[in-house]
Amino acid sequence: MTQILFKDINKEGLHTMKVYEGLGGYQSLKKAFAQKPEEIVEAVKASGLRGRGGAGFPTGLKWSFLAKDVFPRYLCCNADESEPGTCKDRELLLKNPHLLIEGMILCSYACRIETGYIYFRGEFQDLSFIMDKALDEARAKGYLGKNILGSGFDLDIHTHLGAGAYICGEESALLNSLEGGRGEPRMKPPFPAVEGLYSKPTVINNVETLCAVPYIVSEGADKYAALGTEKSKGTKLVSVSGHVKKPGNYEIEMGTPTSELIYNLAGGIQNDNKLKAFIPGGSSVPMLPADKVDTPYDYESLAEAGTMLGSGALIVIDDSINIVEATLRLISFYMHESCGKCTPCREGTRWLHQIVERIMQNKGQLEYITRLEDICDNMAFKTFCPLADACVAPVVSSIKYFRADYEEYFKNVPAGAAS
Amino acid sequence: MSDVTLTIDGKTVTVPKGTKVVDAAKQVEVDIPVFCYHEKIGPLGCCRMCLVEVEKMPKLMTACTMDVAPDMVVKTVGDKVEKAQKGVLEFTLLNHPLDCPVCDKGGECPLQDNTFKYGPPDTRMEFHRANNVKAAPLSPVITIDRERCIACQRCTAYSERIEQDRGLVMLNRGFHNEVNTFNNEPYDNRFSGNVIDICPVGALTNTDFRFKARTWDLENHDTLCANCGCNCNITLGTRLNEFMRIEARPNDAVDDGWICDKGRWGHHFMESKNKITAARENSVGKTEPTSFPNFPINAPAEQAAEKVIEIFKNIAEEHGPESIGFLGSPYATNEEGYLYQKLFRLLGTNNIDHKSYQDTPGLPIRHFDVEEIENSNIVLLIACDPTEELPILDLRIKKAVSRCGTKLLSLNDQDTALDKYAELKVKYKVGSEASAVDALAEGLARELGESIDFSSDLGPTGISDEDMKSLVEAVRSSMKICVVYNPAALSGDTSLRVKRLLSVIARIPTIECGAIPAAPATNAVGAVDMGLLPDFYPGGVPVSDSEKVKELWGENAPTKPGLSASEMIAKAKSGDLKALWIHRSNPVVDFPGGEQVVEALKNLDLLVVHDMLETETTQLAKIVLPSNGPGFDEGTTTNIGGRVQARRKALEANSIDDWKLIQVMLKKLGDESSYSRVAKVLNEISQKVPGYQEINSRFVGKQGCNREQVAGEEVSPGNVESAASSNGKLQLRVATYLFAHDKILDASSKLAYHFKPSSAFLNESDAGKIGVSNGDRVSISGNGTEMEAEVTIDNRCMEGGVVVPRISDEQGVNGLGNPDGSPAWVDIKKA
Ligand SMILES: Cc1cc2nc3c(=O)[nH]c(=O)nc-3n(C[C@H](O)[C@H](O)[C@H](O)COP(=O)(O)O)c2cc1C
Ligand code: SF4
Ligand code: SF4
Ligand code: SF4
Ligand code: FES
Repeated sequence: MTQILFKDINKEGLHTMKVYEGLGGYQSLKKAFAQKPEEIVEAVKASGLRGRGGAGFPTGLKWSFLAKDVFPRYLCCNADESEPGTCKDRELLLKNPHLLIEGMILCSYACRIETGYIYFRGEFQDLSFIMDKALDEARAKGYLGKNILGSGFDLDIHTHLGAGAYICGEESALLNSLEGGRGEPRMKPPFPAVEGLYSKPTVINNVETLCAVPYIVSEGADKYAALGTEKSKGTKLVSVSGHVKKPGNYEIEMGTPTSELIYNLAGGIQNDNKLKAFIPGGSSVPMLPADKVDTPYDYESLAEAGTMLGSGALIVIDDSINIVEATLRLISFYMHESCGKCTPCREGTRWLHQIVERIMQNKGQLEYITRLEDICDNMAFKTFCPLADACVAPVVSSIKYFRADYEEYFKNVPAGAAS
Repeated sequence: MSDVTLTIDGKTVTVPKGTKVVDAAKQVEVDIPVFCYHEKIGPLGCCRMCLVEVEKMPKLMTACTMDVAPDMVVKTVGDKVEKAQKGVLEFTLLNHPLDCPVCDKGGECPLQDNTFKYGPPDTRMEFHRANNVKAAPLSPVITIDRERCIACQRCTAYSERIEQDRGLVMLNRGFHNEVNTFNNEPYDNRFSGNVIDICPVGALTNTDFRFKARTWDLENHDTLCANCGCNCNITLGTRLNEFMRIEARPNDAVDDGWICDKGRWGHHFMESKNKITAARENSVGKTEPTSFPNFPINAPAEQAAEKVIEIFKNIAEEHGPESIGFLGSPYATNEEGYLYQKLFRLLGTNNIDHKSYQDTPGLPIRHFDVEEIENSNIVLLIACDPTEELPILDLRIKKAVSRCGTKLLSLNDQDTALDKYAELKVKYKVGSEASAVDALAEGLARELGESIDFSSDLGPTGISDEDMKSLVEAVRSSMKICVVYNPAALSGDTSLRVKRLLSVIARIPTIECGAIPAAPATNAVGAVDMGLLPDFYPGGVPVSDSEKVKELWGENAPTKPGLSASEMIAKAKSGDLKALWIHRSNPVVDFPGGEQVVEALKNLDLLVVHDMLETETTQLAKIVLPSNGPGFDEGTTTNIGGRVQARRKALEANSIDDWKLIQVMLKKLGDESSYSRVAKVLNEISQKVPGYQEINSRFVGKQGCNREQVAGEEVSPGNVESAASSNGKLQLRVATYLFAHDKILDASSKLAYHFKPSSAFLNESDAGKIGVSNGDRVSISGNGTEMEAEVTIDNRCMEGGVVVPRISDEQGVNGLGNPDGSPAWVDIKKA
């Protein structure tokens, strides 16, 4: 399978300038500086690259939305990677920091940006130290700083550590946090491309997204676009976790069947149990039952199957697991991470948690299942940001596909005997 | 801005682009419930109460965050919306304690109201509601009930966007978030109380009002704050003739919906134990005046007043009308001021004044209403410190700068809190305001190519040529400028120089210009308009215009200029002034001169003080008459923007109303007018006071209305006198401190925690010369008086000056000043 991001990922010393350059690193810069910035934006558009942070928004298009003629502009690389199940950015940052720097330089050149930030989740302190070293190396080599490689283009990049909040991965909350404010999403519009960091036009991209850019520039948009499916182009890093024999990050071509990921790359289900369910795109997307395991892993096919590609974290659940218990764990994550700004999320996540917990104590009533669905309906798409929708996804999908698991708890409870 | 047409629930509405759907709906009387949205704060999107259906949008949208769009079709009813509303309310109430029966907000609570109108009939909540702190003090005057908070973030957004100091913030996240302050510091800025009004539940409560009354038992009186010249609109709640609380009563033209903490909590003087409740005679003064009959003990005020005014008449007859005088009040209503000047002019004297600084009626350019600040592209502050002097102006200026693109310029002798919003700050040396103002006027005149008949000298001001040039340029290139100046902070005849500057600005053809004379006193503008002046009759009619004076005020009306307040004091000392009547003023501490004022007043044959609280001046009076004052009185006042508004009676007093008392005396002197109600006085004002023609009680209504521009002839200032050599002395600048410990905020005040010790702000180099460092105690002496203060070295003023905020009556800082109002020199020594 074509490897772009992980081509040399396990090469000894890849995180150092010497090894990275030895493998052809930073070669794309010269090529880029020979072109007009707009041409790079066009190339990224043509490559079909879509945002790998979760929403899958076309990257080139995002870059072209920047408010015209307003400067300074900023680039923020989203390295908050907090979605349960997701650890792909971590591996890139740990082993190949220069790839990200190269991608950020290309993006900044294309968007006429002179200051970039890498926003790490608070727990990524070790990675930020590695990045700081890599940035120093890049400065020393003249890849960052004034008049980079004689192109007349200036850029510096800074690292910033969050304080450990999932919501700070949401782009506008990230901006608030980066400005030193409270990590809460901002109202949109204005979108960051118009009024972002310090109210200036800002590009926010995921680590993986930016890491794909050097390939597009050096190998050409066509070559990237030739990979994957018609609408989901290129390759994707998938973090496979859960009951598989070989959990880890795998780079696949878009459209590869999910079963291939589970049974081939990740070595199949642990203890040779049976697959019960899988969550294809990180904890925020609806889970699917085992019979959908052949769904091709790309944006469209997963959407058609009623879920999402999300951040590319495939969580595999075998038949030893009670889905209600798994769901409770997920709700508990969102309850803990809700920023509290809006009522349905702040109150709803907690209420869902209380109800599911009570079901598991065999103290509920059958009617609780419809109540859960109704509460989810009162939350879904009614909150300020998608975090509440993310909490609702596992609840609704688990009831949809595994209602029996819930009903199990009411077997011995006489109807109407509520707590 | 272009307009947008859309339909809401089938009703078509056209509104300016940028309007939020929720506001557009109001215009066609469609009610969209909200919690977090507040028109003045702007959208937050927190509570999700305002969800509506918008055609072509897959999800429900929050009407408070959504801008109107052409041909948008909005539905606020229907199953989808109603289910969402019920859902949101169920979430909101999930952990709400429902202690409505004991909640201060009960009866006026948006949560109650929305639940009643849109909510589910019951709840499906079967778990213990979360418990939280029920009464945590955020400051000595605000208590938060954390259980009731619905985390709508109105209060924290107010703190960030309106008062702009993030005093109140959201801490923690998710279900555990809470409204609090950084590091548990008290939330105690000047505008904290507004969060009580805007909190949509009973979470933020007024500590002073907590559990005192049910809201439906309150009698609410729409009246005005009487604590400064902004005249913010308030609702004063009483119960059984007892004061309960004050809330803001939004009026965009005046307060933009906010009041300051002094307005909210600074009204307890109404119940002060120092309140004067009956007429009395003090055994003070020189000798008994020969014509003075024994004053009957316990005589009602009207009887006493009748007697005393007769004595004034006798003295005037005996020694000539120049021998009596009247010191009116910049705090009293227009009606009181008007009637008093009428009374004394009937006695044949123009010895009438109300202030210790110079000021004249009228402006050579438009008198801007406060709201105009928002659409001026330049606001120039001269000698103003709105934060301390006229607090609500501070919020208005911040709003203009941060949201309306207004640029702030400041010409001042001291640093102020608003400086950080200023595009350009030009500082002159204390006492050199005359030269500074002249230099700006001259610079502008030169730009206009005008020949000028005055010359200015930047030398004494310490302003650099470049700074003055930038200031001239910034003013010259403005499109619309609003000049805000504080006549009370300008020494000598500088306010006349400001008016000359204004006429120069008025001649720049490209500028739309106006000014706001921003003296801090409640009715400073009204007092000038009502002719409490030695040289002007009401409405800016000069006493010298005998034709006009006679036409309006009769054949016998005096046309000789009278004595100003400081002249009256001087004449009292020399014995030429025999009798002085003081209405609601305390010259002993509030006027410069201190001991000299005391001596002068003691030297009078007869001093009458008509006031509401005991003061240092009432102690010197022979006769003290009770005045009711704010809360009890009624009438109109004119704010700094020239807006005439009604102050209404909220509490019944035992004493006779001031205006009635003056009427009794007018009658005694043979005046035939009779006023059955205070509104009749206003009628007369509208007939007699140029500029007030359109003002009558109906027109004033709830929101007030602007008077016409009051005319005023331009008085030319003299030459700037060169300052005497300093001899190591410093020029004194008495600054205003909002929460001074005075008669209004006495020791029992809810705001006593704001009281500050006496301090002197010194420039580094002066401190070095005197040999003092931060925290040292110094004695400051001048004009035969001495006071103590603690040194703060912070370059608040330039070398050669010292800033001493007036922090209490006791401190006596005004005593250091010269009685004639000229810049004062003081000696500073380590104590
Ligand atoms: C609750 C929430 C959490 C998110 N967390 C992350 C994250 O950890 N990392 C990330 O790259 N994007 C995250 N996103 C998506 C970002 O908002 C944003 O869409 C993304 O960074 C854009 O980059 P891309 O276009 O390259 O995907 C999150 C979104 C939401 C709503
Ligand atoms: S949905 Fe949740 S995380 Fe998002 S803004 Fe609302 S409370 Fe915060
Ligand atoms: S205290 Fe009141 S205004 Fe502040 S967040 Fe809570 S409910 Fe809203
Ligand atoms: S700004 Fe002035 S008028 Fe307004 S509330 Fe404060 S003291 Fe009263
Ligand atoms: S009023 Fe619209 S979200 Fe609160």
